[in-house]
Amino acid sequence: MNETLLFLIPLLPLVCGALNAIFGMRAPRLFAETLAVFGVGASTLVTLLLWSYADGEGSRAVLYTWLSSGELEVPVAILFDRLSAPMTLMVTGVSTLIHLYAVGYMAGEKDYARFFSLLNLFVFAMLIIVLADNLLLTFLGWEGVGFCSYGLIGYWYGKGENADAGRKAFLVTRVGDVFFGIAMLWLFALTGTLSISAINAQAVQLAPAVVTGLTLLLLLGASGKSAQLPLMTWLADAMAGPTPVSALIHAATMVTAGVYLLCRMFPLVSLSPVGMMAIAAVGALTAFYAATCALAQREIKRVLAYSTMSQVGYMFLAVGAGSVAGAMFHLLTHAFFKALLFMAAGCVIHLCHEENDIFRMGGVARRAPFVFSMFVAGAICLAGVPMTGGFYSKDAILLAVFAQPGLSFQGLWLLASATALLTAIYTFRLLYLVFAGEPRGDAGHAPGGLMRWPLLPLALLGLGGGILNMPELVGGNAWLQSYLGPLAGVAPQVSHAAEWSLWGGATALVVVGWLVARRWYAERAVPREGFVAGFLLQGWQADRLVAALILRPFRAACRFCCYGIDLTVIDGLLDGSVDACKRLGKGLRLVSTGRLSTYIGAFAWGLLALLGWCLWRLVSL
Amino acid sequence: MIVPISHILMVAAAMFLMGLGCVLARRNLIMILIGVEIMLNAVGLVLVGGSALWHRVDGQIFVIFLMAMTAAEVGISLAMVVYLRRRKGTIDADAFDGMKG
Repeated sequence: MNETLLFLIPLLPLVCGALNAIFGMRAPRLFAETLAVFGVGASTLVTLLLWSYADGEGSRAVLYTWLSSGELEVPVAILFDRLSAPMTLMVTGVSTLIHLYAVGYMAGEKDYARFFSLLNLFVFAMLIIVLADNLLLTFLGWEGVGFCSYGLIGYWYGKGENADAGRKAFLVTRVGDVFFGIAMLWLFALTGTLSISAINAQAVQLAPAVVTGLTLLLLLGASGKSAQLPLMTWLADAMAGPTPVSALIHAATMVTAGVYLLCRMFPLVSLSPVGMMAIAAVGALTAFYAATCALAQREIKRVLAYSTMSQVGYMFLAVGAGSVAGAMFHLLTHAFFKALLFMAAGCVIHLCHEENDIFRMGGVARRAPFVFSMFVAGAICLAGVPMTGGFYSKDAILLAVFAQPGLSFQGLWLLASATALLTAIYTFRLLYLVFAGEPRGDAGHAPGGLMRWPLLPLALLGLGGGILNMPELVGGNAWLQSYLGPLAGVAPQVSHAAEWSLWGGATALVVVGWLVARRWYAERAVPREGFVAGFLLQGWQADRLVAALILRPFRAACRFCCYGIDLTVIDGLLDGSVDACKRLGKGLRLVSTGRLSTYIGAFAWGLLALLGWCLWRLVSL
Repeated sequence: MIVPISHILMVAAAMFLMGLGCVLARRNLIMILIGVEIMLNAVGLVLVGGSALWHRVDGQIFVIFLMAMTAAEVGISLAMVVYLRRRKGTIDADAFDGMKG
C-alpha cells in the first residue's frame, strides 16, 4: 500500500457522481441509488482502512502536477494528517447515512439521477477542501461546494423561489470566495508557494500587520461558506432544497468548510491577536444573532438552519479563543446531531403531510415514537443537556473562551453563555410545539425504513460524542486534544473548581431555558405577535439591511451608469455627431440644386475669388 | 507690332467677359455653348497676341490645338443637345435638374 491510495477517498464519490450523471437516467433506479450510496460508503471504508496514514506528521500524496508556470507550482496534493483524518471520516460517514436517508426521501422523485449525482459531487468537493494540501486545490473544492449547493438548493427549480434561494446561496458565498481568492494570491505573492503546510511553516516570518490582513481576508472567506456575519443571509433561505440536502449542507459539508479552513490555517491565523479577536467576535455575535432569530421562526427547518448558524458561530469562537481541538470537537458532535435533527425533521414533515409550520404540527410524539425519540436525542445535544455530546463540546468552547485573558473575551463568554440559554429555549420550544399537545394539522404518511434507520447511529454518535474528547475532570482522557497534538491549538488552563462551576452554570442555563419554553409553549401553541417577534422572524431584517446598504446603492450606481453616462454622455456624443452630419448634409443639399446655372455661377464666383486673390497678392507685393 | 498688346488684351478680356455673361445669363443650351466658344476664342486671341509680342511660335501652335479641341467639343456638345432635346422636348438648361440633392 502506498499514499496514492488516499486519493481513493475523494475520487470514489467523484467517479460515482460522474457515472450517475451520465448513465443514471438510463439505468434502473436501483442502480443510481446504489451507486450514490456506494460512492460515499466505499469512501468511508477506505478512510477507515487508511486511518494509520494519519499518524505522526501525517501523509502527503501527490497525484500529478496540475499547473506549472514559472514560480507557480500547483501539484494535486493531499494531506492526510491528524486534523484532516477525523474530518474526512466524519464527512464520509455522515454523508453515507444522509445518502441512505436520501434514497428513502427521494423515492417519489422523477429526477433522481441529477440529485444523486450532485449529492456525490458535493461530498467530493468537500473532501477536496478537507484533504487538499494546496490552497488552489482547496479553492477548487471551495467553488465545487458552492456550485453543488447551488444545484441542490435549487433542485426543485420549477418553483421560482427555490431557484432564487439557490442563486442567493451561490452569490452570497461567492462574496466570501472573492476574499479567500485575494488572501490566496497575497499569500502566493509573499511566500511564493500555495502549499498549506509550507505557508504555515513560513508564517512566522511574515510581518504582523500582513498576517492580520491575511487573517481578516480568510475570516471573510470562511464567513461566506460558514454563513457567519455579515454573509449569513443565504443559509436560512437554503431550506428550499430537499431535506437531505439541508442535512448535508448543515452537518457534513459546506458550513463546516469555513471553520475547517481556519483550523487548517491555524498556525498562520494564530499569529495575529487582532485577527483572533475578530474571529472570536464574529463567532460569538453570529451565535447570539442566530439564536435570537431561531426563537421566532415558524418553519421547523428554518429554526434548525438558524441553530446551525449559531453553532458554527461557537466553532468560530473556539478558533478565535485558540482552541482548534474545541472547534473540531464541536464540529464533529454538531455534525452528528444536526444531521440527525434535519433528517428527523424531514420525517416529521412527512408525518405532518408536508407541513413546515411548527404551529400547525403538534402531537407527533404519540404518532411516531421512534422519530420522537430520535429528535429528542438530537435536541438535547443541541440544547446542551449534560452528558450528551453537545454538552461536552459546547462546554469545552465556553471553557476555552473563559480561560482567555482580557475583558473582551469575558464579554464574548457572557454572550456565548446567553446564547446557550437561548439555544435551550428555542430547542425546547421546537420540541413542545412539534411533538407535544394535540395534532393541529393533517396527518401524513409514516416515513419508510430507509428514512428511519439512519437516524439511529447518528443519535448514538450524537449522544455518545462526548467520548471523543471527554474532559479529564470526569476521568476522560481528552482523546481529540491529545490526538491532534501540535495541531490542537492551546489547551485551556482552568482550575477544577472553575470548571465545575462552569458546568453547573451551563446546566442551570439549560434548565432555565427548558422551564421558559415549557411556560411559554407547553400549553398553548400560538405564535407571538408584535414588533420584536416580527423583527426576529425576519432575521433582524438582515435581508432588508443588505438591500438598503448594498443593493440599493448598487442599483443607484447602475442607474447612474445607465441613465447618467451611457444614455446621455456616450449616446449623446454618438447621436450628436450623427445629427451634426445629418444637418450638414441637409445644408449642403440646398447648394446642389441640379441646375446648370447654379454650378456655372459657382464657377464664376470661384474665378472671381481666384482673380481677387491674385490681385491682392500683386498689390501686396 | 501694329496693334499694341494692351488693346489685344482689352479686346480679349471684353470678349471673355461677354462670353461669361452669356454663359451665366442664358438658359438656352445652344446659347450657353456659344458663350463658351466666345470665351475660348478670347483665350486664343491672348495666346496669339503673346506669340506676336515675344516672337515665339508656341502660342500659335497652342491656338491650333485649341481650335481642334474646340471643334471636337462642339461636335460632342451638339450631339448631346440633340439627345437632350429628344428626351425632354426642350433645350432649357433648367429643365435638366436630375442631379438635384
